[in-house]
This record gives sequence, C-alpha cells and structure tokens, in this order.
Amino acid sequence: MEKIGLKVRARAKEALENREVDEVMGWKKGEFWYDVYPVFITEANEADDLIWDAFCVNNLSKYLIQKQKENKKVGVFLKGCDSLGFNQLLKDNRIDRDQVVIYGLPCVGMVDPEKVKKEGLNKGLLEIKRSKDEITFVTKEGEKKILGRQFDYDKCLACRYPNPVVYDELLDTEIAREVSEMDRFKDVEAIEKMSITERFEYWSNQFSKCIRCNACRNICPACSCEKCVFDNVNAGVSSKASVDSEEQFFHITRAYHVAGRCVDCGECTRVCPAGIPLDQLNHKIMKDINELYGKYDAGVDVSQDAPLVTYKLDDADSFTEHGKGGK
Amino acid sequence: MSVEAKETVMGNKNEFEPLIVAFCCNWCSYAGADLAGTSRLSYPANVKIIRVPCSCRVNANFVLRAFQRGADGVVIAGCHPGDCHYSTGNYYTRRRFSLLTNFLEYVGIEQERFKVDWISAAEGNKFATVMNDVLEKVHRLGPNRKLRDARWKR
Repeated sequence: MEKIGLKVRARAKEALENREVDEVMGWKKGEFWYDVYPVFITEANEADDLIWDAFCVNNLSKYLIQKQKENKKVGVFLKGCDSLGFNQLLKDNRIDRDQVVIYGLPCVGMVDPEKVKKEGLNKGLLEIKRSKDEITFVTKEGEKKILGRQFDYDKCLACRYPNPVVYDELLDTEIAREVSEMDRFKDVEAIEKMSITERFEYWSNQFSKCIRCNACRNICPACSCEKCVFDNVNAGVSSKASVDSEEQFFHITRAYHVAGRCVDCGECTRVCPAGIPLDQLNHKIMKDINELYGKYDAGVDVSQDAPLVTYKLDDADSFTEHGKGGK
Repeated sequence: MSVEAKETVMGNKNEFEPLIVAFCCNWCSYAGADLAGTSRLSYPANVKIIRVPCSCRVNANFVLRAFQRGADGVVIAGCHPGDCHYSTGNYYTRRRFSLLTNFLEYVGIEQERFKVDWISAAEGNKFATVMNDVLEKVHRLGPNRKLRDARWKR
C-alpha cells in the first residue's frame, strides 16, 4: 500500500500544479494509529499530507455534493465501494460527472480498529501497515506480522466490488478476489426464520439503542435529499422524544427510502455509534427486490433503471393470493 | 340513564374495537366504498377511510404514522393494475408496497395488520369482504402495540 501512497501524493500534486483540478479530496493521517480523516486540498504542497493505508475507509463521494455547489472541479480518490456510491449520486443527479476526476484505488479491504482492540493488539501500537493480506503491527518493541483477513471490517469480507466500477485513472492493478454470492443474504435469512414476536423483539431492542445522531443518514450516498423528511419539524415525524415508536419510525423509513438505491457499501453500519446492524434492513429490501423484480445492483450500471421507478405490466406482488411473491 | 344501561355502555367501552385506516384511491376504491354503502352492504364502522388521489400517493410514512397514532390495521386500496386513472400509478404502488409488506413483516409487524388490495368502483361487494376480513383478523390479533407512540391515548 505504501507504493500506492506515493502514487496518490504524486498524482494529487501533479493535478494541482497543472490546474487539472481546483481541489483534491483524499485522506490524511490523524493522531492515533487508527485515525484517518478526509481532507480537501487546494495547494500542491499540501499533497504530501495525503495517505493511502489500511484505514482509508471513509467514502469521499458524498462530499462531492457540497463541493459542486462551490462550482469547483474536484479530483477524488475512490475505492470500489465508494465508486458505487458515486454512481448512485450520479444517477440521482446530485453531481456532475464532468466536474469530477476520479482516481480509482483497488482495495484489498480495510482494517477494523475494534477488531484489533478486541485481540488486544492495540497496546503500544504506533502504526499498522498492510500489503495485500499481510498486516504489520508496528510497536516500539518491534514489528509483528499477521497474515489473514481476521481484522477486516465485516463489510469488507463480504465485498463484491474491490475494484472501482467507474474511474478516469486507475492507480493500482486490479484485484481479483473471490466473492461468494451464495451467503450474501444469510443474515436476512437467519432473521426470517424467527417467529414474528422474536423478530419484533429483536428489532425493537436494536432500534431502542438508537440515539438519533443521524450518522447513518449523513454518511449514506443514497440519502442525499436536500431537505430530509426528518429535518422537517412540522412534518411531525421527528419530535426527538425518547419513545420507541419514533426510533422504529426512523429506521423503517430510512431503510425504505434507500430501497433500490442502496449500494450496499455498509457505511451506515460502520458509523453507527450504537452498533445497530442497519445493513440487515437494507439487505432484506435488496433480497426482496432481487426475488420479486429481478436482479439489481444499485450503483453498478448507471443506465439501468432503478427497480422502484419502473414497472412491468405483469409484476409479481406480495399481497394478493395470486401475486406469487408472498411469504 | 339507568344504572344497567350505563353499565352496558361501560362494558362496551372495555371491549376491543379495532381501528382500521383505509387509504382508498379516489377513482376506484372510494367509489367502491360508496357502492358498498348504496348497495346497503354491511361493512364495519371501525374502518376510517382516507381518500387519496391515487394509491401511489400513499407513502410508507402514512402507514407508519397510522400505526403510530392508533390504527390496529391499515389497508391500502387502489384500482386493479391496468385500470389506473393516471395510467401507471398503481404499477408503482404494486412494487413499493410489495416491498413494504414484506419489510413490515421482517421487523415484526403481523402480516394481517397491513393489507394492500385492488378494489374497483364496481366491486362494492369486494370492498365489504376485504374490510370485514381485515377487521376479523385484526380482532383476533388484539390491539396493536407495536409501532404505537407511547403518548397516544384513545
């Protein structure tokens, strides 16, 4: 990854020097070993701050909405999952393709700091380096190498698009990873097997953890409404009262609003401070769409119609007896 | 009012009377409800009809809000696919609410509490049957507590 990091910095510097772009978006190292945050740079000498390491998990594509309002040409580094989000924003007419230069970064997976902490490997840790699936833990005492994917985010283990699906330049060679489509929705199937009361209990417990921080909404490349229904105080859907029904309302609505547009990047689950498995909600809707209305992967192909804005005359449904889609 | 009469009134109050909210499309199902009425078919008075221009006008928030504010069951009724006054509206309804039907069940709301059906203007009979059917099922399930706002009072 270090070699690619050099390329990232060189490319950003070059682009800014030649005024190919007005601004470059990338990642910068923070104070701690797991700390990486997005930066927007406008000067070529700032390009030295940019990094590419095992913690560059943040999706940069959503910041483009704000940047485009400033009428700037932006260069942006996108991983596979980020590029799906980019395509979705493009499809929702939230960004202008001509105003963006995409530097694609094939990604082997990102390291979950929580998993490192759980293994107790975070003591005295200075840095984590990664090359393919070999992770090097650098401490004061020395280096320790561990081979394997046990520290990857769950969402990275299930990643289906390690290579960007849209880019102008690819900064690394494409990665071949075997992905099994078989167990993509096994989390959903496990919940479907529960009884109705168990299911309600399971979800109420999950939803009641919600602190309504709206992080899942803000990170989501499909949740890009200028004014969200939950920001409209007069709509009466968000009185911030601490009652279960409001949390249930929020989560059902959130998942339903991204139906057919969710690119399955898993960011909502990652950022949730309460640890609510939001992806299990999104997966259910995706699974239903695939079963009822044909296979559809949001963000992969911009020219394909999203399932909820189109129809067929002989569609199946899940509510009439002859609808074939019922349970 | 005599004491006995008062007691029967009180007794009736304690008995569970489900509240069903029915979103009916202006062109078919609302007219269907009208026909059910003019044909003197009996359908329960617990059904509160909300008239919408088209079944696809209903969004998921309406349904959730109804449950939140006291509904024990929600019905969405529209024209049969192919008969939409606006040509294509109910095709969208079909996709959207197929997903919502499955999704509500997934988060633990009983399937019987949420029903989507096609009722044309000529189907007064079907309107009465569907409403009676939903009411009966909801009655059997008992009052809905799921999704209900804790501050809600009847």
